Amino acid sequence: MTKSRIRNNIRKLRFHCSEMTQQQLAEKVGVTRQTIIAIEGDKYSPSLEVAFRIACVFAVPLEEVFQYESADPEARE
Amino acid sequence: MNLSYREQSIWGSLAITLIVYGYYFATVFSGAQPSQIDRTALARLIGAVFVIVVIEIAYHILIALKSKVEPKDERDILIETKAYRNSYLLLVADLFMLMGTVVVFGLTPLLTVNLMLLSVVISEIVKYLTQLFFYRRGI
Repeated sequence: MTKSRIRNNIRKLRFHCSEMTQQQLAEKVGVTRQTIIAIEGDKYSPSLEVAFRIACVFAVPLEEVFQYESADPEARE
Repeated sequence: MNLSYREQSIWGSLAITLIVYGYYFATVFSGAQPSQIDRTALARLIGAVFVIVVIEIAYHILIALKSKVEPKDERDILIETKAYRNSYLLLVADLFMLMGTVVVFGLTPLLTVNLMLLSVVISEIVKYLTQLFFYRRGI
């Protein structure tokens, strides 16, 4: 089975965005603070819609927020 | 440990279910089993359900005053869906086993009702445990 993971830069982006708190981001995205904590800690992969909403809050492209990391060497090439 | 409103709600419901139904089933299964559903058995059953509802309401008012109540988001719904799936599968398995037991051993109506209630309570506990597992481990 190919193990894959989605990494994110939310913590860094929050810091560069006037040190936005998790609560502020959660309110802007429309999810709970617990969900932001889970996403930041790679414990939850959000839906495409929430992922786009997070990218919109920081005004950056989606791939700047989330990166797909595959364990399959062929997929990396 | 800093728990969200939803996790506090689940922990509380789990504890209340275990304590109240634990006491109820300990009382019911410790004595001799009457063959018919009499007034005492019915009062005990309704009493247990009533006590659960009252304590649950009081507990949820208390934690709503202490913590911020947030509406469910997609993660909460996903976790709840997985919890309901586990709970449902267990309930169906339990009920099929119970049907077989009733046919083979010819259980009394009261015992059958209590075993059905036990199946529902167990599936409810599994639902709570599944939710707590996914909230802690991630999904």
